[in-house]
Parts: sequence; structure tokens; C-alpha cells
Amino acid sequence: MRWLLGIAAFAAAWLLPYALGGYSMHVVDVAIIFAVLAIGLGLTMGVAGQINLAQVAFFGVGAYAVAILTTGAGLGFWTASVLALVAAVVAGLLAGIPALRMQSHYLGIVTLGLALAFINWVTNAHVAGRAEGISDIPVPPMFGIDLSSAYLFYYVELIVFVVFLALALFVTHSPLGRRLRAMRDDDLAAGALGAEIPLLRMTAFVLSGLYGGVAGVLYAGLIRFVAPETFSIGNMFLLLAMVIIGGRSSIVGCVVGALALAFVREALLDVSAFAQLGYGVIVVLVVVFFPKGLAGLLSRRKAGGRARLGPFQEYGTAAADEGTVLEVEGVTKRFRGLVALEDITLSVPAGQIRGIVGPNGSGKTTLFNVVSGFYSPTRGRVRLHGRDVTNLAPYRLSLRGVARTFQNLRLFEDLSVRENVLLGLDRTRTAWIWRYLATPWAVARYSRGLNRSAEEIIARFGLQEVADAVPRALPYGIQRRVEIARAMAMSPSLLLLDEPAAGLNGEEVRQLAEIVRSIRGSGVTVVVIEHNMGLVMSLCDHVTVLSSGRVIADGPPDEVAVDPDVVAAYLGDSMAAPTESEVEHAEG
Amino acid sequence: MQVLLQTLIGGITFGAVYALVAMGFSIVYRTMGLVNFAHGSVVMIGAYAASTFYMATRLPFAVAMVVAIVVTGLIGLIIERFLRPLENKDFTLMLIGTIGFGAVLEALAILIWGATGHAVPNPVATEPIDLGGVRIPTYSLLVIGVAALATALLALFLQRTKTGAAMQAVAMDHEAATACGIHVGRSNATAFAIGACLAAVAGSLIGPMLYVNPTMGGTLGIKGFAAAMLGGFGSMPGAIVGGMAFGLLDAFAAGNFQEYSELVTFVVFAVVVMIRPMGIFGEATVNRA
Repeated sequence: MRWLLGIAAFAAAWLLPYALGGYSMHVVDVAIIFAVLAIGLGLTMGVAGQINLAQVAFFGVGAYAVAILTTGAGLGFWTASVLALVAAVVAGLLAGIPALRMQSHYLGIVTLGLALAFINWVTNAHVAGRAEGISDIPVPPMFGIDLSSAYLFYYVELIVFVVFLALALFVTHSPLGRRLRAMRDDDLAAGALGAEIPLLRMTAFVLSGLYGGVAGVLYAGLIRFVAPETFSIGNMFLLLAMVIIGGRSSIVGCVVGALALAFVREALLDVSAFAQLGYGVIVVLVVVFFPKGLAGLLSRRKAGGRARLGPFQEYGTAAADEGTVLEVEGVTKRFRGLVALEDITLSVPAGQIRGIVGPNGSGKTTLFNVVSGFYSPTRGRVRLHGRDVTNLAPYRLSLRGVARTFQNLRLFEDLSVRENVLLGLDRTRTAWIWRYLATPWAVARYSRGLNRSAEEIIARFGLQEVADAVPRALPYGIQRRVEIARAMAMSPSLLLLDEPAAGLNGEEVRQLAEIVRSIRGSGVTVVVIEHNMGLVMSLCDHVTVLSSGRVIADGPPDEVAVDPDVVAAYLGDSMAAPTESEVEHAEG
Repeated sequence: MQVLLQTLIGGITFGAVYALVAMGFSIVYRTMGLVNFAHGSVVMIGAYAASTFYMATRLPFAVAMVVAIVVTGLIGLIIERFLRPLENKDFTLMLIGTIGFGAVLEALAILIWGATGHAVPNPVATEPIDLGGVRIPTYSLLVIGVAALATALLALFLQRTKTGAAMQAVAMDHEAATACGIHVGRSNATAFAIGACLAAVAGSLIGPMLYVNPTMGGTLGIKGFAAAMLGGFGSMPGAIVGGMAFGLLDAFAAGNFQEYSELVTFVVFAVVVMIRPMGIFGEATVNRA
């Protein structure tokens, strides 16, 4: 159905010039350039969540590079175009560097500042023609076809547009696009799943630069004149309005928004102040009432309301590796004056279920954050299978077999349950992305393989009924299970569970114990932070008790539970350890 | 040395205005977590309101400033009411919503005052004070004085009044503030109105220094925003220090790089915030997993 619509749209676009007058053709040509720009902005901002307000500058870099190289250096149009694309991508890379250190509005203001710096340069630099700009860019040669005709140039644009639209759609629907969207939703959790956040952010900016450059080359070929006002901040906001109105996370939505606004802009050219008033009002209304734009109006939501969990299918048993999986040696973590962990030493042998317990604020989650790479310890080492992994980034630890869940659930809210699982399955390094351009069929094959494995995991964890729902539509207990499924999708050798039973009812806790035992049975070592003492006693082989950042007891559960230090740590209750109901009160 | 001091005075004068703009950003941001990209346009409206009234009525400049404050205060309340559904939600949406508002204000200014803009006569037309060869324009002293007064009044309001304390509470934790019986919506509206009033003060002060035109809000807003970020977003002392720092950066870039000053200013800004993203007074945020 979608394919048919696409083909019909392409056929209509192919025949369009026969129905248009010369000026209208020109307007359509300009609109397509805006559409290419909008796709680039949609990819960086909508899909990857990088607030990039320099897109119009990348456009400018592309157009100005063609202009300078053809008129100044005397290169041919197409040679200049290739170099212009390279220049725009490099500009994207440079503007993307701040994204490694800051996000959201901070990134927005820095990229906007860089765009202003670019405009300032072209308005004053002699080589860029100052305020008058550069005219007399040569007509692009094309086997004797006269591309100075708006009609014939249209076909060049159309082909380029379709190719780059296809690339954008391919990227969004591929494992890379999924990782970009995951990064947009929650970069910490994405990192824990093996996504290289810095490289992904740079990828987003490279794409932004590439699309800006392509649009710039087309613009130079069509108008054959460049001047600073085309690349002004006003046009940046127009572009932003296009993407927002269309629906920023939908590539097709961005295209529709761009075409629609480009035509409206043309129609209101004589009353531009009213036009600007119009966009402004529309943008405010869309943002407040239809945050997903036109695309959001069309897409229907799957209801996950009454979905139920299926039974968990046990893993086959496999012998665990020999030796010690995790060794923590003398780890201290300080936050300024506060000592969160003080000289923690523990080692977890392969195939064990280790419990970590302790009062709130005793440093349990901090310990997990150190082991999974979120924090660097102030002192001490962490070893995984005997190899030093201290200070490794979360994604590296993830690729080495450390999977974790989070105390307050970090599922990707805008991705379906299936996509959450698929993210866990994707074990590629981001350097793999050259294949997206070189051998897209290999990517498609890999992606199909992932989909098959995802179905297996979804079936194993009984998630068939909820596979297409978004996590926030699901009850809490199901979300907890999805998070474990996602972690197990990574085929880890060490699984860290941070309060997996929090918020679960009795039956769900029983199922959880069964799942964790089966996971251990399949050869995975499990470390679990838990307040539910009943569960800890029945599930764990060995328990480590933390209090105020120190290990105060370490041993089999029944010994630890009667240890006087442990009793004292839990406020000297008459019980050896808090009861379940007390723990529930302590939650949150 | 004289050139240096002269640049310093120019930088501090503009810095005082940037500091006012930055405080306007910060008070809204810390109270409701909203990054108000329309702030620059509110400054522009303030500049227009004050200068138009001043030139039309020939009343004292202070009266014109009060008129501008009333006008922008109302605009601030309107913007807040519209964007209330987005508070403490998606940053991207808020950012874009406020950019949309900025576009609306700019378009309104073009429709009311025309696209060309006007020059504003200096309200204190006296000779500059000569201090050992360094000429200090009296208007610079006025700007610095008014900015200091506005800062002092704001600090008093935040620390000594009940409404101010309520706003501080909302800034720290809006849910806990609700639980304490603070009307968060009213507190947000107050913050927005105060931000807009500061914008009017900044706008009316900058009018005689620049040429008042509909697009001045863009650059001023970005510079004020950058100043707030340089100082540490949401911190009031940070806004003042950041504003001064940005004014000086701007003045020295203009002195040494002439037409490329904007390029230098923003590249330096990008490098500085990359080295210290939390700004001078900002807190290092720890990612909690």
C-alpha cells in the first residue's frame, strides 16, 4: 500500500512540469530544495534529538562552496559540487563537536551562534562576495541537456530528492535509526545498550551537513547566484517551522511540511510580515496542540490497555564459565565531599546469583553505576573476566557482556516493546555504519536477522501481546519484564538487576524469581540489588550488605541476616531484616 | 591603555544590557524550566514601546520606560498563558514554541512600526565626562546605574518578599512547592512578567545605543542567552557576570576584528562553553542512572 502510494506520488511528480507555467516551475524547484533541507533537519533533530539550528549554515556552506570554486577557482560545476559536499559535511562535523559536551537548549544556542558566525563571515569576506554575493555561477553541464531551464533542472532535483529521501527513510528504519531514536529518548540507557553516543551524535551532524550540502549544490545550480540573506536566521526558523508542522520525527511529514510552507511562503511573498505572523501563530498552535505535527494527526496509536503477559519459557541449561566474572577491588567513589562508596571489594564467581542489600543511600546503585561504566571510581579497579575494565564507557562494557536494568525503569518511551528488544540485540559498533552507504543490502539482511531473534526473545518472555505497544501504555509489572528481556537480548555474561521487584505484586515477584533462576541456569552471572528480603533470601546464593558506602557483611543469606552489624544497619529493628511491607513503604 | 579603558567602558555598558537580558532568561528558566527564545523579541518590543512613547510625548525617559515595562509585562503574561501546557515538558517543543512567539512579535512590530526602524535621541544629551583622557558618556553611566538598580530590586524581591520566596521554592522543586500550597501557575506567571519587565528595561536602555528595528531582537536575544549560559543557566549572579563577560568579549572582538567581530565572538563562546558547559556559576549535573 505504502509502495503504491510512493510510486503514484513519483509518477505524479514526473508529470508535474507538463501542468505548470515557468514561474510555478521555479517555485516548485525551490520547494524541493527546502524539502531536502527539511529531511536533513528532521534526521538530526526529530530522529536523533540533536537541536541543530545551524542547518541553514550547512546549506550556505554547500552553495557558497560551489559558487567560490566555480567562479573563483574555475573548477567545473560537478567537481565543485563534490568538494562542496565534503565542505558541508566537514562543517557538520565541526558544528557537531559541541554536541559531545552539551545537549538540548545549550546545543541550540551554540549552533545558532555558529550559524550567525557563518553569516557574519559571508557578509564580510571578499572571497564570498560580501553583501552582494556571488553571481554568474555556471550552468551545470549534463550531456548536452540545458539545465538552465527550470523544467529540465526539475528532473535533476527530483532524482536527487528521491535518492536522498530513500536514504533517509532507510536510515530511520534501520538499526542505526533505531539507535538514534533511542539516543533521543534516553542517552544513558542507549549507552548501556551498546550505542556509542558520541559517534552517534556526530553521525547525526554528518547527515545534517550532507543534506545541507546537497541542498546547497542544488540551489547553486538552480539560482546560479548566492547572497547572505538566503542563509539568514529567519530562513532557519522557517525551516524549523516546516519540520515542526510536518512532524519532526517523521521524514515524510518533514517533506510535506516543507513543500506546504514553501508554497505558502511564495503565495504570501508580497505581504511577508503577515506571512511571518502566520507561521509564528501556526508554530505556536502546533507545538501546544499537535506536538507531533501533521504526521501525528495521521498515525494511529496502538492501545496497550488490557494486554497480558504470556508465560515465561525457560532457557536451556548451560554450564557457566569457570572462574570469577566480576571483581571489584578497593573501589571508592566520592562526589565532591560526599563519600558514596568507601573501599568496596567483592568478587562474584561465574554462575552465581549475588544479592546486594543495604538501607537506602548505602551506595548500591552507585556501585552498579561504577560497574556498568556510568561513573568512574575515584579509586580502585573493576575487572570483568579478569580483565581490567575500570573507566570504560558504558557502551564498551555493554559490548563486553555487561547488561543492566535500572531502578526507575529506563525504557525508550517512544519506541515499541519490540524495538526496545531489538536495540538490545544490535551488537554492532557504530563504525559499522559505512555499510549504510556501501552495502545497504548487507544492512537489510542483518536487520532481518535481528527481527527473527527479537521474535524469539519476545516469545520467551511472553511479550507477544504487547510487542507493538509503547512501554508507557503498559502496566508497571510488564514494563519491568520488558526491561529484563531487553537486557537479556544483549546475550550478556553478567546481568545487573537494580531493584527488579520494586512495584511488583506477589505473583509477579514469584515469576521474577523463576526468570532469574532460569537466566542463571543458562550460564549468566546475576547481581541483583533488592529490598525485598524474602526474594533475596530465597533467590541469592550469596549476599553482600552495604551500609554508608561500606561492605558490612558478606556471606550466604541466612548467615548475613543474623549478623549483628546488619541488624544495626537496619536501625536495630527487632527483626533481623525489614519485612516486605516496610520495604514497600521505603520505596520511592 | 586609553584604548583599552575606552573599550572596557563600552563593553561594560553593553554588558549591563546583556546582563539584564540574561537575567530575564534566567528568572523564567529557573522558575519554570522554560527556555524563552522569544525573550529577544520582547526586548525589541520594549525598545520600540519606550522609544515611540518617548519621541511622541516628550515626557521624561523614565516615564517611557515605565510604559514599556507595562506593555512587555502584559506580553509576558500572554506568552506564559499560551505555553503553560508545555512547562516542565519537552525542551525541544518549548524552544520551538517560544521561537514561534518570537516570530509573531517580530511580525507584529513590522506591521505596527514598519520594517525600517528608527534612531532614538540620547535622553541625557550632555558632554561625556573626561577622566584622564578616557571619555565616559553620561548615558553609559545611566545604563549601568539603571541596570544595577533593577538588579538590586530583583534581588530584594526574590529574597525578602513572600512571592519571591515562593518563586525560589518553585524553582527548586515545583512538585514540592505545590504540596506546600504554592500556586505554581501564578508563580510562573509572575516570573514571566518579571522577565518581560527586565526585557523592557534592557530594550529601552539599548534603544539610544543602537538603531531600533524589528530584527534587533534576534541578535540581542542570542547574545543575552549566550551570556546567561556563560554565567551558568538559571543563576542570577551568573547572569550578571555572564552578561558583563559577553559585553567585554563583544567589545574587544569589535575593537580587534572589526567586521568579523560577530564571528570571533560566537566561535570564542562555543569554545568556552565546550570547555565549561555548566558556565561560571552553574552546577555540575551528575547523570543519575
